[in-house]
Amino acid sequence: MTTAAVPGPVALPAFEHGRAGLSGQVRSEWTKLRSVRSTWICLVIVVVAGIGLSALVSNIEAGRWSQLGLADRAQFDPVRFSQTGEFLSQFVVGVLGALIVTSEYATGSIRTTLSATSGRITVLAAKLIVIGAVIFVVTEVTAFASFFVGQAVLVAHGGRALPAGSSILDQVHSAAIPVVSISDTGALRAVFLCGVYLLLLALVACAVGFALRHTAGAISAFVGVLLVLPLIVQILPSSLSGSIERYLPSNLGLAMILVSSRRTDFAGVLLSPWAAAGLLALYTAAVVVLAGILLVRRDA
Amino acid sequence: MITADRITKSYGATRAVDDLSFVVRPGVVTGFLGPNGSGKSTTMRMVMGLDRADTGTVTIDGKRFGELRWPLREVGALLEAKALHPGRTAYDHLLALAHTNAIPKERVTEVLELVGLEAVARRRVGKYSLGMSQRLGIASALLGDPGVLLFDEPVNGLDPEGILWVRNLLRGLAAEGRTVFVSSHLMSEMALTATDLVVIGRGRLIADTTVEDFIASNTEATVLVRTPDPAALTDALAASGAAVEARDDGGLLVTGMAAARIGDLAHAVGVVLHELSSVQASLEDVFMDLTSEMVDYHGHAPSGVGS
Repeated sequence: MTTAAVPGPVALPAFEHGRAGLSGQVRSEWTKLRSVRSTWICLVIVVVAGIGLSALVSNIEAGRWSQLGLADRAQFDPVRFSQTGEFLSQFVVGVLGALIVTSEYATGSIRTTLSATSGRITVLAAKLIVIGAVIFVVTEVTAFASFFVGQAVLVAHGGRALPAGSSILDQVHSAAIPVVSISDTGALRAVFLCGVYLLLLALVACAVGFALRHTAGAISAFVGVLLVLPLIVQILPSSLSGSIERYLPSNLGLAMILVSSRRTDFAGVLLSPWAAAGLLALYTAAVVVLAGILLVRRDA
Repeated sequence: MITADRITKSYGATRAVDDLSFVVRPGVVTGFLGPNGSGKSTTMRMVMGLDRADTGTVTIDGKRFGELRWPLREVGALLEAKALHPGRTAYDHLLALAHTNAIPKERVTEVLELVGLEAVARRRVGKYSLGMSQRLGIASALLGDPGVLLFDEPVNGLDPEGILWVRNLLRGLAAEGRTVFVSSHLMSEMALTATDLVVIGRGRLIADTTVEDFIASNTEATVLVRTPDPAALTDALAASGAAVEARDDGGLLVTGMAAARIGDLAHAVGVVLHELSSVQASLEDVFMDLTSEMVDYHGHAPSGVGS
């Protein structure tokens, strides 16, 4: 066993200048995130579920095309089929976003984290940056991969892209399964916003983690807003629920990934994709500000 | 140097720390003593800027925690040994901490060697014993090579060799001119390790002094005397103003008179002495004595057992 009490020869760089700041904290948070197994499990689920469900659902829908009536054909949405995994992924990114905060509160290591920095907001910002960057990269890659896999599955079933400028009527009367190209109106936006939706949810979950400090509480709140809140709104009188529904986070997510020109059934019910993204970003900002205030004011 | 100036902290109706002031000076190990629930950990959290004092200020080398520019390089703390993510390795835990204060990763390897964990550095800390976690906690406190160090119960869970190691480490760190503030409920350990003492009970300061002075000023000199004729000696001592307590084994405990005078007195009255020795009170005795009324949680002997 070592008995030397004197710290050894590694000279620490002079620290008279500057201060512990965001870049060091970001490196620290990245080190923490990559060094636990749960991160990789969550990310693998996002990728596998995203691409796997895209292939599965596109396969099922392709098989149904020839039996679909005209109305159902009008709502045949190959982009949405390819992004089915998003429904599962939203909970996975929520768990990951909450865990990077609540696991530290559960073990007490948040106190180690906070006593290494003189600015608590730095810790909040660093966690948001790291989880945001990781989730954004992984979910965008997954969203685009899922899109192309989904279209490939449709093509394998004899699907064909409709000629440029085709209307929804052309789709309905098409004998072949319609396949979407990424350059089609709204397709790129829908796939891109799928990743943005999951990014914003991860940030919300991280902030909720700071506010509630408990894993179970944070995840329950997160699932409650996404799954339970819509159910509660549905049992309200329809005049009331109709005006609230479009502002629910889950419906903002739906609005963000719809190729609106293909989905007349949702016209007027949901916000436009970019408005939905903007509103969800506002929600996120509000929760982050609340988390920041609580983090600074409360004892750790 | 750590300076607490009239700090008070309440949690709801409970006053955890009450108008507490003390100074921890560099160059010596300062023990922080108090019964369970007396406010030691709360005080340490306030030093580290984790809990905010309701009133009063705590400073580290004259600066509040929030004013430190490189906290890890100015103050290192072991507050809870088990406050670790069980799935992370010791190396990654320290590396993450090092990044926050621009500490090179060679220093991580160095402190792991210093605390003797280099062989298990790549193992998940969930598998660590309490003793190994304590060593990792000490490594994190030393990571930034800070001038001020706080350790909350650092020898918990350590084997005798580990306890000896911590004792030498703390004294060595202090000898380098660092401020070393160590809480413990093991009085005997503090008596061996610490030079200065801050003693609290129910959040209030009981003593801020040296170990030596603390023992001396809180005990009367006691002398153990054995004689074949206790009755005669007891009378003679009582007549000269000393207090005498007869022990079950026939010895007499004399307070209020020095050993030499007792010997002279015995000679004068013609009583033979078989033993004459000064009894040194231990830090533990003094501490128990002083804080017995201030302990929040008393253990009670089961009825029918003992006296």
